[in-house]
Amino acid sequence: MKYWLVLLTAIFTAGCTKAPSTAAAPKQLNIYIWSEYLPQQVLDQFTQRTGIAVTVDTYDSNETLMAKLASGVAGYDLVVPSDYIIQPLIRQNLIAPLDKSRLTNFGNLDPAFLNQHFDPNNQYSMPYLWGTTGLAYNKKIINTPVDSWDILFDPKYSGRILMLDDMRECFVVALKRMGKSVNETDPAILNQAADMLKKQHALVRAYDSENYDRTLESGDVVVAQGWNGQMAKVVSDRPDEFAYVLPREGGTIWMDNVCIPTGAKNPDAAYQFMNFILEPQPAAEIVNGVYYASPNAAARQFIDPKILNDRNIYPTADMLKGWEFLNDIGPTSRLLDQLWTEIKAQ
Amino acid sequence: MKSLSYQSLVLSPRLSSRLLALHSGIVYVFLYGPILLLVALSFNRSPLSARWAGFTLDWYGKLLRDTEMIAAAQRSLIVAVGVTMIATVLGTAAALALARPAVPARAATNALLYLPIVIPEIVIGCALLTFFSVTRWELSLWTVGAAHVSFSLSYVAIVVRARMAGFDRSLEEAAMDLGASPAATFWRVTLPLIFPGVIAAALLVFTLSIDDYVITSFVAGTDSTTLPLKIASMVKTGLTPEVNAVSTLLLGLTMILVWIAQRLLRPPESARGVHS
Amino acid sequence: MNKRPAALLLSPTWLLLGGLFLLPLALLIGASIHQPDDAGNPQTVSHWRAYMQSGDWKDNYTESLHEIYLHVAMRSVWLAVATTVVCLLIAYPTAYFIALTAPPERKNMYLTLAVIPFWTSFLIRIAAWRLILQDEGVLNVMLMKLHLIASPLRLMDTPLAVMIGLVYGELPFMILPLYASLEKLDRSLLEASADLGATAAATFRRVTLPLSMPGVVAGCVLVFIPGIGQFIVSDLLGGSRTMLIGNLIQDQFTSGRNKPLGAAVALELTAVVLAMLIAYTIAARRKGMEVAL
Repeated sequence: MKYWLVLLTAIFTAGCTKAPSTAAAPKQLNIYIWSEYLPQQVLDQFTQRTGIAVTVDTYDSNETLMAKLASGVAGYDLVVPSDYIIQPLIRQNLIAPLDKSRLTNFGNLDPAFLNQHFDPNNQYSMPYLWGTTGLAYNKKIINTPVDSWDILFDPKYSGRILMLDDMRECFVVALKRMGKSVNETDPAILNQAADMLKKQHALVRAYDSENYDRTLESGDVVVAQGWNGQMAKVVSDRPDEFAYVLPREGGTIWMDNVCIPTGAKNPDAAYQFMNFILEPQPAAEIVNGVYYASPNAAARQFIDPKILNDRNIYPTADMLKGWEFLNDIGPTSRLLDQLWTEIKAQ
Repeated sequence: MKSLSYQSLVLSPRLSSRLLALHSGIVYVFLYGPILLLVALSFNRSPLSARWAGFTLDWYGKLLRDTEMIAAAQRSLIVAVGVTMIATVLGTAAALALARPAVPARAATNALLYLPIVIPEIVIGCALLTFFSVTRWELSLWTVGAAHVSFSLSYVAIVVRARMAGFDRSLEEAAMDLGASPAATFWRVTLPLIFPGVIAAALLVFTLSIDDYVITSFVAGTDSTTLPLKIASMVKTGLTPEVNAVSTLLLGLTMILVWIAQRLLRPPESARGVHS
Repeated sequence: MNKRPAALLLSPTWLLLGGLFLLPLALLIGASIHQPDDAGNPQTVSHWRAYMQSGDWKDNYTESLHEIYLHVAMRSVWLAVATTVVCLLIAYPTAYFIALTAPPERKNMYLTLAVIPFWTSFLIRIAAWRLILQDEGVLNVMLMKLHLIASPLRLMDTPLAVMIGLVYGELPFMILPLYASLEKLDRSLLEASADLGATAAATFRRVTLPLSMPGVVAGCVLVFIPGIGQFIVSDLLGGSRTMLIGNLIQDQFTSGRNKPLGAAVALELTAVVLAMLIAYTIAARRKGMEVAL
C-alpha cells in the first residue's frame, strides 16, 4: 500500500511542476488535427516563443471532425479540415471567416495553392499540407509491379488488404475502377460502387486511417490504401521492400487547410500559431517531420532535399493527370453515409 | 451419518471434486492469464510483443518521463477523488433513506437507482453528450466528473443498502430514546455500523471512475484526456510496451483497492449475492 | 409516519439523477424524433403540430428497421447468446467448486479472486488479449514453437476474437450469481437424495440444477445484457470489421453524422434491455424465486 501512496504522490508532484491546465496558464491553444500531422517540436518551439500552452487532440476523418464541431461544445481553437468538407462546415456555421490582416506571413504561401474552388479568396481557410491518396504494397510478396486499384480486390491476398476508414476515399477506389469521377452523384452508380465495396469487405483485414503504414510495415497486410506522406516514409526507409503507387485509373489529390472554429475561445492564440507555421522554418520542420508536401513557397529552402526530390511526396504534374480533388457533393452525402454504414456492417 | 459432507454423495467423489478443482484452476488461469501476461511483458526488453528479450525497467522509466501520460493520470485521479466524495455522500444518504420504513416514492426511487446500472454505457454516453450540447456546457473535466457522478451514485446506494440488510434499527431507536439528537445518532451509532460498507462503496466508485472509458470518451473535451482514453489511443496505435507498463500500474492499483473493498464487504449472515 | 427525513436524504439524489440522468435520456428521446441536419445534429422543428401529424418524427425508427441495421442487431444478439452459453458452461463448474467443493475456510478467498478482475479496467483486460491473439502474439508464438502450426493463425480482427473477449470480460458476472445460488443450497437435500438411492448424476439433474436455477437465470441476464450493448470489445479486438450495435451507435454520433438515428438505435437497445429485465423480474417474483439483483 505504501508503494502506491509513494507513486501517487510522485505522480501528483511531477504533474504539478509542469504548467497545468487553463486555470494557471494565462494563454492556451486547443488544436484538433489529423493524427501524426504536427510534429511535437514545432509545438514546443511555439510554446517557448509565445508562452502559450498547446493541447492537441486528433481525429482520423473529416466527418468525425464535423460531428465534433457540430456538438457546439468541443472547445477547439484550430482545426484542419480537408477541401471537400469546408463548404459544408461553412454552411453549418462551424468555422469562422479569417481576418487575413492578422495573418502577416500569408504571403509566404505559393499563390498556386490559394483561391481554390472550395474556398474562393481563402475567406475561411489557409492551406496547410497537400498530397495524394494511393496505395503501397510489399514488393517482396507481390513480385509483379502494381499499377491498378484492382490489387485491393484480389482474392489472392484475402485478409492481407487494408483500406482507409474513410467513406469518400473508399468510394473513390470503387468509382475509379468503374471509370467514374470521384464526385459522382448518380445514386445508381453509387449503389454499384457500394456493391463492389461490400464484396470486398470479406477480403479486407482492417479499415484504418491511422496505422495503415505500420500495419503494412509489420507485414500484417501486403497492400494498403493510404495517404502519401506516411507511406512515403515507409518507402524511403525500406525502398527494397515497399513501394507507393498512384494507380493508373486515377484517384484523389487533396489539400488540408487550417481553420478557426466558430466560437473559439482563444482566437488570438490561433492567429499567432497560424503566423508561426507560415514562417519558413517551422513550415519546413513540419514537412520534414510528417513527410507531406507544403504549399509554403518560402519554406522550400529549408526542406530536406531528400523529401523535395521524393516523387511520392512531391509528384510531378504529369503523374497527376486524371487525378481529382474531392468536392462537396451536397445532399448525396446522406446516401453515401448510408451506403458506407451498409458496407461496414457486412 | 450427519457428519458426512455432501461430497460422499457424488460418484467417485475424489475424482469428480478433483475434476472440478482442475476446471476451476483452468478458469482462474484464464481469468488472470492475460493480466499476468501484461505484467510480464511490461518488463520485456523487446518492443515487439511476445518474444522475451530480457528484463528491463525501461518502459516504466519512459512512463515517468511521459508528461502527457502523467497529465492524463493526474486528471483521472482528480476526477476520481471528486466523484468518489460526492457519490459516496449522496449514495449513502440515499441508502439510509431507503432503509427507513417511511419513504416517499420508494418504488420509483428504486427504479431510478437501478437505471444507470442496467442501461448500456454507450446509451448513457450519447445521452450525456446530447445533454451537454443542448445546455451548451463545454466539454471538460467538469463534464467528465458530472458524468461519472451520474452513473456511480447508484452503485454506492446499492452497495451500502445491501450492506445494511439486517441492520438493526433498534440501536438507533435506543440511542434516540437515551436523548441523542438525530445527527448525533447518525455520527455515533449509524455511521460506525455501516462504515465498512461505505468505505467499500467509496473504493468501488473510485475504481469505476478511474477505469471508465466508454462514457468518458463521449464527454471529454480539450485538455480532459483521462488515463483510460490515453491508454486506449495508445493501444490502437500499438506502439510501445509503455502501454503495458501503465496498464500494469493501473491494474495493480485497482486490484488492491478492490481487494480491500471486498474484504470490507464480506457478506453478513443474510447474504444476498452482491454483484451489480 | 414521518417521511420527511427520508425525503431530505433522497432529494440530492433525485436532483442529481433527475438532472444528469433522466434529463439527458429525455433529450436523447427528443433527438431521436428529429431529422438530422448536414452536420448530424437534430434539426429544429418550426411547426410541431404539422411535424407530428406528418409522421416524420418516426423516420429514424423506421430507418433503424432497415435490413442492414437488423443485420447488425442480429449479429449482436447472436454473439451475446453464444457468449452467455459459453460463460454458463465455464462458470457453472467453477461456481459449484467454490460453493460446494472447496474447503469452507478457502471459499472467501476463491470468491474474492473471482471478483477482483470484474472490477478492474475492462479496457485494459481486453487490450491484454491483443497480446495473445495477434499474429505475433503469445498464442501464435507458442503454437509455432511447438510446431503445431506453420504460419500464424488469423485470430485478431475476427468475430471469434470478439467472442473470446466478451466471454472473458463477462465471466465474473456469471460466476457470482451462480455462486450465490449454489451457496444457499441446503446440503441435507442432497444427502436425502442420496439416501433415497439416486445416483450423483440424478441428484445433480433433479435437485441441484433446479434449485440453482435462480442463479442460472440471473447470470444469463447479467451476461446477456451488457453483451448486446458492449462497445469496447469489438472496437479493440474486432478491427473496424465486426460492427455491433454499440459500434453502430457510436458511428452515427461521429463520422456517420446522424445523431437522431444513433439516438433512435440507442433507445431501441435500451427498450430491449429494460423489457428483458422487467420480464425477468416479473417471472422471478411470480415463481417465488428470489431476484438475485
